[in-house]
Amino acid sequence: MMLFNLAMKNLIGAGMRTWLNVFVTAISFFMIIFISGMYDGMRSHAKQVTIDTEVAGGAYWHPEYDPLDPFSYEDAHGIPPKEINDLINNKNAFSILVSQASIYPNGRMMPVVIKGIEPEQSIINLPTQSLLKEADGLIPVLIGSGMANYTKLKVGDAFAIRWLDANRTYDADEGVIVYIMETENFKVDMGTIWIPLERAQAMLDMKNEATYVTFSKNISKVQGKGNWIYRDVDYLMRDMEAMIEADEPNARIMYAILLSLAGMGIFNSQILSIFRRRKEIGTLMAMGMTRSRVVGLFTLEGGMNAFFSLIMVLVLGGPVFIYFALYGIPLPIDYNEMGLIMAKKLIPVYTTGLFISTTLFISFVVLVLSYMPSRRIAKMKPTDALRGKVT
Amino acid sequence: MLNKNVVEIKNLLKQFPVGGDYFTALSDVNLELEKAEFMGLVGPSGSGKTTLLNIIGGLDSPTEGNVSVLGIKLGSSSHNKRAYLRKTKMGFIFQSYNLLPVYSVFENVELPLILNKIDSQERKRLVNQAVEWVGLADKIDSRPAQLSGGECQRTAIARAIVNEPALILADEPTANLDAENSHQIMKIMVRLNKELETSFIFATHDEKIMAYLRRIIHLEDGRIVQDEKIENPRMGK
Repeated sequence: MMLFNLAMKNLIGAGMRTWLNVFVTAISFFMIIFISGMYDGMRSHAKQVTIDTEVAGGAYWHPEYDPLDPFSYEDAHGIPPKEINDLINNKNAFSILVSQASIYPNGRMMPVVIKGIEPEQSIINLPTQSLLKEADGLIPVLIGSGMANYTKLKVGDAFAIRWLDANRTYDADEGVIVYIMETENFKVDMGTIWIPLERAQAMLDMKNEATYVTFSKNISKVQGKGNWIYRDVDYLMRDMEAMIEADEPNARIMYAILLSLAGMGIFNSQILSIFRRRKEIGTLMAMGMTRSRVVGLFTLEGGMNAFFSLIMVLVLGGPVFIYFALYGIPLPIDYNEMGLIMAKKLIPVYTTGLFISTTLFISFVVLVLSYMPSRRIAKMKPTDALRGKVT
Repeated sequence: MLNKNVVEIKNLLKQFPVGGDYFTALSDVNLELEKAEFMGLVGPSGSGKTTLLNIIGGLDSPTEGNVSVLGIKLGSSSHNKRAYLRKTKMGFIFQSYNLLPVYSVFENVELPLILNKIDSQERKRLVNQAVEWVGLADKIDSRPAQLSGGECQRTAIARAIVNEPALILADEPTANLDAENSHQIMKIMVRLNKELETSFIFATHDEKIMAYLRRIIHLEDGRIVQDEKIENPRMGK
């Protein structure tokens, strides 16, 4: 308590010098929390978008279906078992039929994945109702804006589609773009054309069949799923989690850089403080303060400096955090074209866990950084310190 | 009382390593200081005054010999034990005052009491008393930067006497002061010595201080060359 009172007196007494130190440290802390919040926001948004536009509550896969192996699509179709069909009939699930195809936009050939989807579904957030539009007998096609840019297709443009049906026979017809959707999920955009499910079943000669069935959130696993494979959200998000995990080192490097900057500031101010206050150190020793106590006093001052910085971050940075958390940060570039699931406006996520873990970790680092230069005091001779000499 | 000596020094040798050799700062020093003595270590620069003062204060260690202060043998005692002795029984006054710049007069004087864990009410009483003693009651909230040299040194004296130590060590306390302030400071210390029976050791070569001393130890090249007792000092009677 005595050391605490003295440290407090020293910090308050130093006035502007203390507050400048606190301010500089607070900026580093603010940036650490801000950037960590941005990373968390990006991750959280990517997860949310994927669940919202693709995964929903999970799926039942045809046993042959492997989304990473396009050659599996030929055999990955069948009529879903009764209990899964019941989910579809009760509007708790919808079927998707997947097949390989080629399209010929503007005279070029391009391999794509056809996905037949129930236009009236409302389980995932895709504008599939647009597939109900009249297409003059052509195949109504929904694509994403990324795909539209890549193929130079616009709404109303017609193009040839060629596919292999269930009988291993190539067939072709003309499709027309009925809608171009803006989506942040490149997986439902690039290389994919969406058509009405019934039309796809007819084209592929796979009546009532599906490749997988996506169901709503909060629907529990059915018992009679036959040999169809149950895939929960965790499984379907594995790739996303892996991408996030792969991104972790970058986040850690950024964190380490910011922490180093904050640390260097604290270390530097401690060194300067000890250099500038060596006479004071000698005086305290002459008055009977033990070396360990003087070390403790200077370490505590460094720690309290960090504590004040955190308070300053909360008081001055808090409104900034709240503003960005509510209104987001507009991003100048469309990252979807780079194959990243990222919003046009990034909403940072500041969790209590982020604040607590950052505070604890930074406090620990600050205490160590305050202690390290303060150890010099233990080696000082009181007579040298009183003369203002550093040994 | 078994031993009335405040300080006992026998065959003191102090050497400092310089390059590959040793410089002898003090040699063959034998000295006894009784309670309530008002003594000065006098000599030219480099004669060993400050070194002897530092050894008596436990801030430095003897190379050889025995140094006993207030019954504690300094040579064999730990850093912490010496720190405790300084904290509880000694006061220091320095040439450059060594006040803590961010503290007010009150806080500077209060510091030794905080280190001795005196409760806040008692601290306030003792600080006010000490500040009254040195005549700085009207400057109690000022910071050192707002004080004159004489006022700073009076603050340093108040800090040294606030816990009524048995021994005060003063290293050139008037070196930075003009004649008038020097006399004021010395009068305060003479009064303290008489009223509180505090022992004083000065390291000085200031004639003004010498006029107040009742015992002068003359040092030359680290040796005591004369131990002079003065029955009737010119000043401070």
